Amino acid sequence: MENIILFAPLVGSLLCGFGWKFIGESAAMWVATGLLFLSAALSWVVFLTFDGVTEHIQILRWIESGSLSTDWAIRMDRLTAIMLIVITTVSSLVHLYSFGYMAHDPQWHEGESYKPRFFAYLSFFTFAMLMLVTSDNLVQMFFGWEGVGVASYLLIGFYYRKPSANAAAIKAFVVNRVGDFGFALGIFGLFYLTDSIRFDDVFAAAPQLAETQIAFLWSEWNAANLIAFLLFVGAMGKSAQLFLHTWLPDAMEGPTPVSALIHAATMVTAGVFLVCRMSPLMEFAPEAMMFVTFLGATTAFFAATVGLVQTDIKRVIAYSTCSQLGYMFVAAGVGMYSAAMFHLLTHAFFKAMLFLGAGSVIHAMHHEQDMTNYGGLRKKIPYTFAAMMIGTLAITGVGIPLTHYGFAGFLSKDAIIESAFAGGTAYAFWLLVAAAAMTSFYSWRLIFLTFYGAPRGDQHTHDHAHESPMTMLVPLGVLSLGAIFSGMLWYSSFFGHADQVGKFYGIPYAEAAAHGDGHADDHGDDHATDSHAKDDHGADGGKGKDKHHYVFTGQPGEGALYFAPDNHVLDDAHNVPNWVKVSPFIAMLAGFVMALWFYIWNPSLPARLAANQRPLYLFLLNKWYFDEIYDALFVNPAKKLGRFLWKRGDGDVIDGGLNGVAMGIIPFFTKLAGRAQSGYIFTYAFAMVIGIAVLVTWMTLSGGAH
Amino acid sequence: MISADLTIILPETLLAGFALLALLWAVYSSKDKAASAMVWLTSAVFVALAGWIASTGGGTQVAFGGMFVDDGFARFAKVAILLSAAVVLAMSEGYMSARGLLRFEYPVLVALSAVGMMMMVSAGDLMALYMGLELQSLALYVVASLRRDSVKSTEAGLKYFVLGALSSGLLLYGASLVYGYAGTTLFSGIIQTAQSGHVSIGLLFGIVFLISGLAFKVSAVPFHMWTPDVYEGSPTPVTAFFATAPKVAAMALFARVLHDAFGAAISDWSQIVALLSVLSMFLGAVAAIGQSNIKRLMAFSSIAHMGYALMGLAAGTVFGVQAMLIYMAIYVTMNVGTFAFILMMEKDGQPVADISALHMYAKREPGRALAMLILLFSLSGVPPMLGFFGKFYVLRAAYDAGLAWLAVAGVVASVIGAFYYLRIVYFMYFGDDNTDGLDGGKSPVLWGVLALSAAIMVLGIGNMFGVEAAAALAAASLVN
Amino acid sequence: MDEMLREYLPILVFLAVAIGLGVVLILAAIIVAVRNPDPEKVSAYECGFNAFDDARMKFDVRFYLVSILFIIFDLEIAFLFPWAVAFKDVSMVGFWSMMVFLAVLTAGFAYEWKKGALEWQ
Repeated sequence: MENIILFAPLVGSLLCGFGWKFIGESAAMWVATGLLFLSAALSWVVFLTFDGVTEHIQILRWIESGSLSTDWAIRMDRLTAIMLIVITTVSSLVHLYSFGYMAHDPQWHEGESYKPRFFAYLSFFTFAMLMLVTSDNLVQMFFGWEGVGVASYLLIGFYYRKPSANAAAIKAFVVNRVGDFGFALGIFGLFYLTDSIRFDDVFAAAPQLAETQIAFLWSEWNAANLIAFLLFVGAMGKSAQLFLHTWLPDAMEGPTPVSALIHAATMVTAGVFLVCRMSPLMEFAPEAMMFVTFLGATTAFFAATVGLVQTDIKRVIAYSTCSQLGYMFVAAGVGMYSAAMFHLLTHAFFKAMLFLGAGSVIHAMHHEQDMTNYGGLRKKIPYTFAAMMIGTLAITGVGIPLTHYGFAGFLSKDAIIESAFAGGTAYAFWLLVAAAAMTSFYSWRLIFLTFYGAPRGDQHTHDHAHESPMTMLVPLGVLSLGAIFSGMLWYSSFFGHADQVGKFYGIPYAEAAAHGDGHADDHGDDHATDSHAKDDHGADGGKGKDKHHYVFTGQPGEGALYFAPDNHVLDDAHNVPNWVKVSPFIAMLAGFVMALWFYIWNPSLPARLAANQRPLYLFLLNKWYFDEIYDALFVNPAKKLGRFLWKRGDGDVIDGGLNGVAMGIIPFFTKLAGRAQSGYIFTYAFAMVIGIAVLVTWMTLSGGAH
Repeated sequence: MISADLTIILPETLLAGFALLALLWAVYSSKDKAASAMVWLTSAVFVALAGWIASTGGGTQVAFGGMFVDDGFARFAKVAILLSAAVVLAMSEGYMSARGLLRFEYPVLVALSAVGMMMMVSAGDLMALYMGLELQSLALYVVASLRRDSVKSTEAGLKYFVLGALSSGLLLYGASLVYGYAGTTLFSGIIQTAQSGHVSIGLLFGIVFLISGLAFKVSAVPFHMWTPDVYEGSPTPVTAFFATAPKVAAMALFARVLHDAFGAAISDWSQIVALLSVLSMFLGAVAAIGQSNIKRLMAFSSIAHMGYALMGLAAGTVFGVQAMLIYMAIYVTMNVGTFAFILMMEKDGQPVADISALHMYAKREPGRALAMLILLFSLSGVPPMLGFFGKFYVLRAAYDAGLAWLAVAGVVASVIGAFYYLRIVYFMYFGDDNTDGLDGGKSPVLWGVLALSAAIMVLGIGNMFGVEAAAALAAASLVN
Repeated sequence: MDEMLREYLPILVFLAVAIGLGVVLILAAIIVAVRNPDPEKVSAYECGFNAFDDARMKFDVRFYLVSILFIIFDLEIAFLFPWAVAFKDVSMVGFWSMMVFLAVLTAGFAYEWKKGALEWQ
């Protein structure tokens, strides 16, 4: 079954990309979409029936070289199962959505065939992404990692007639290479240290790595920290974390379904997935995890600030994505991998929906993307409005405080914020709360600018604004279900008590020894109540929620995630003070009121504020000047170097040298040789005599002198 | 025992006897009318002898007190010589009889020169060496000027003869020096002199002169000057003959002298051979670029190829000799095919040698052009044709022997040399269409040889039809 | 080795004397002779009358042919003499070797005869 899930998109991609000439355009597209839906359906079956025990499904032997032995195998555990449903669900819906969205693309001339290509790329992406998440070893993962990079490149540059799209595609590719370099170094490092790249071996070796020192660059590092950091650099690139985030907003040049699928729901979360997948290693790398937390929080805050002032509807959502990814990394950084995965899951639903909704708006507005040209659209496109509303409620985290009832984002985001507090990093906590307020502000700003107020911009466009076709609305509907219910449905599995989480992820757990009744509900074979499952989180008593108290007892590599024995964040997060639990809700309300004030009650305020605080406004509008700084620091010097190597190095030295040899020196000798061939016997005899004289002389001087 | 000795040289005796009888029979009976039949007969005799020699058992036998050696190495070379001579003879028949060139002396002379070559590769003594060499050369001088009424042909013969005499003089001088300092003309005696410690300077000079004389026969630079003129002037089938069998014989003799007689002074002659090799490769590659006559071009091509074969020899190892033998076997096969193509180049019944006549040849004769393309790729050493493996072997031999610079030079020269081969390909496939094309050349024999040779270049990459193992045995029997 | 070289010393001396003598004679002629050329003196001498042809003229190629054939049989004789002198000591192998040699030569002779190389017309 897993094989079918994995390969159906590949088959669809090949059939659609190469076969459409034989079976026709729409047939090809339906084949790809149908296979994707098959894959999605099977994924749900797998997810719902999965019992938490890690399986390895061998597909083929892949690389055998020296001690490097790599199988192509599927590692089937809860982490994979979650990713499977996320990817295949969103992907199949995006496929369906694309029927409507790509129907009449103004980028292409009449009669040009572009749709099968688009579907083939989408399916190929899905396959690569599935490769990534099902991988059983790092090399296979890297393969999928690069596969999604390629697919992302192809899809961002799908409108290849637009120079900006090509530039964005290249930017995405190049920036990702920086991250991939780190990732590759991490893989090399792991292979160097553990002589294997299989996850099982690597995880088993994690405790030793923590005690190993390794020389890298100029000094000695703790091996676990170093490798965790290097892997995280790869995750930074793929997940658009600060310093390597610049490609994500530009990637919005791609068609909107692509943004929804790749740059919101799936590919960009690969970094989070990587960190969670490597949790057994990460748990032994506290300093690296500090860095992850720090960078995630900063990204969440940074992206939210930039999102405040953007006017392009897709860019707002793109920065929002960037910000939400920061949340996930904070969760992973403090050790709450399950919370990170929780947010990954819910985020996939509501963010994909926001993007698809935005696509629907754009579709309605004839590919106008500037929100300042929208306004008052809620009557024209009511279903889209409803969907966007649900998405916004989800992302801003609307719910009933102190209960577990609310939209998906409410549960998952609050879980992260609580974990951040429990993890003891006030920096991350406060930044995340601030980011939550801003998230609320820009999300509502988007809604108000788009759907409320008076129509702005081109009158003609507004007159012809129309609701999207069914193929686009159905995915919105399905995703809105996810946006509403996914949080409530799986809260306990992702962020419940240790026994619930442990059961869900297949992590062995045991009742804490402190409670002393020795009862073990154990999935592991030989993990009876361990004496080291000690604890002293004495403050838990007050809550009175839990009748039993469980702790994780798994060894690295057991179950989908690994929590170190001293990792109590889950427990602590449940026991944070109420003001902490309420804080994101307050922040959300504050952002909502601000947005209401700025864009409904007093619409002239934003312009005045921007004029008053011009430097700040420009700073935010220009995304903290990251692009400019990078241009000055890296891009321009690289271009100059490239130009120098091209003109001087390649043009003058290599071409010039070769041309000189091939067109100057060799013909000269050819002429010389031709002239020597005079046709006279005496010349020939002379040459022979000279030759023998030279040989004799040489022999005398070199060898024969002894 | 004299009868044992005679048994050992039986193939040579038979061939010589055959040549004499054929000569007398032809001159007293039908004269030139039977020439065609004689060519085929001679060719058949060559093939039969080659088969016989190939099938005789292994081991090394020595006749006439060491003057004549029959070992694996000699047998390998003899088979190569006889087979290539047979094929060339078969190719010449149609061409020569169409032009009234075919005389009954031609097969007889070729047979006699083959006897000489067989003598050369089996020589175990400086005198036997010289006798074989001269028997071969004298026959070749005559066939070079076979077309008596052509100025170019007679000029070719005369030049070849005069310069050949000069080279023989050098060789003899070297031989006398060697005899003077070693006190014997037997290779087995000479090697003992050298083994006794140091090699005297007189002996070294003798080596140098001997090498010079042999270098003339393999047309290595700077003793190559005769090659283009003789190749161009001789009738094309004769050129084909020059480019194949005598080269094998001369290279084999080269190897035999260097290893059998001077195997103790490898470091001394290795540098000389390496020098000849590098000069030949570069001059062959560079000078061929300027040629528009395909026969002259093939002359420089063969100079360059001899450079590569010498590279294997310069290594001075068993593997080097093996590489050289493999290289020569491949080279002869390629050249036979290429000359089959050249023999087919004609227009209105007249032979054409200008390569510009090949413009857009592929359009008119796609099959032949493709076969020629394969051969040219192989000649220039493009993988995966067999020619590449030949080069690969000698380069590896040179590299293994510590002559990395020579190997690098060989690669560079082969890059330069690729130009003129590929230019012919360019003419055939992308040239101007406005020149008058070639016609005729419908000989099935030539076409068959061309196709077979091209097919071998492609199919041989599997196991080289066992040549590799045979060459290894041959090399092992020579170097010890 | 030196011993053997010493045996060759007379040859070296002989060569030196021969070369030296030749050089001395040529140089002596150049140095000592009185030179006073006029057209009559430097023109070719042809017993009393003016030269009516260049001194270098073409020969019939048959002269070469005959001379080459002569040389072959001349050499044959050169081989035969020592063989004949030592005939008493020559074994059967020696005898038959010479017979083979003569047979080969005879075959060549028969060929050139039949070819008409000996006819002069």
